[in-house]
Amino acid sequence: MKALQQDLKRLEATDTQVLGVSVDSAFANKAFADQIGVTFPLLSDWGAEVTRQYGIYLDKYKAARRVNFLIGKDGKILEEQVDKDAIDPTKIVDTCERPKLKN
Amino acid sequence: MQKKLPNVLAVPLLAGALALSSVGSALAQAKPPESAGASMPKVGEMAPDFTLKYFDGNDLKDVSLSQYRGKKNVVLGFFIFAFTGG
Repeated sequence: MKALQQDLKRLEATDTQVLGVSVDSAFANKAFADQIGVTFPLLSDWGAEVTRQYGIYLDKYKAARRVNFLIGKDGKILEEQVDKDAIDPTKIVDTCERPKLKN
Repeated sequence: MQKKLPNVLAVPLLAGALALSSVGSALAQAKPPESAGASMPKVGEMAPDFTLKYFDGNDLKDVSLSQYRGKKNVVLGFFIFAFTGG
């Protein structure tokens, strides 16, 4: 989430809303956001219903895998980064800055 | 023609082969298990809609993916747990 925060200005400049999601409570996520300086919403998927809907629920941890989805204005998925690849969101930022997505 | 290995050699070889095959199956089991239910949506597919809450410091606020339709792209970043790294 820190990496997404670092790229937040560039993402917002391309009409992109950043949202974090985990199975923690909304209150824990707010405390976490404050601690690491995240200013975008960290959503609470308490019960993991949405995490399961996205097919990334890990039984072992009863939590989500680390995954970034870039979703276009039409609601379709444009880019995915899974597990270790999701630590650095540069690929998603680059996609957002491609001219066809800027309008 | 192949000579038959003396038993003193054949036994350790067989044991080694068994050990290797058990390592192989242990590695196979270490792969992340497919979680039950939906599979991960692919690039080009519609992202499943949802409504989730976050706490803004004063109130719980609802956020739906559909509220950004036609207005904004969305980066949806799933993280494993709060307070575990970045």
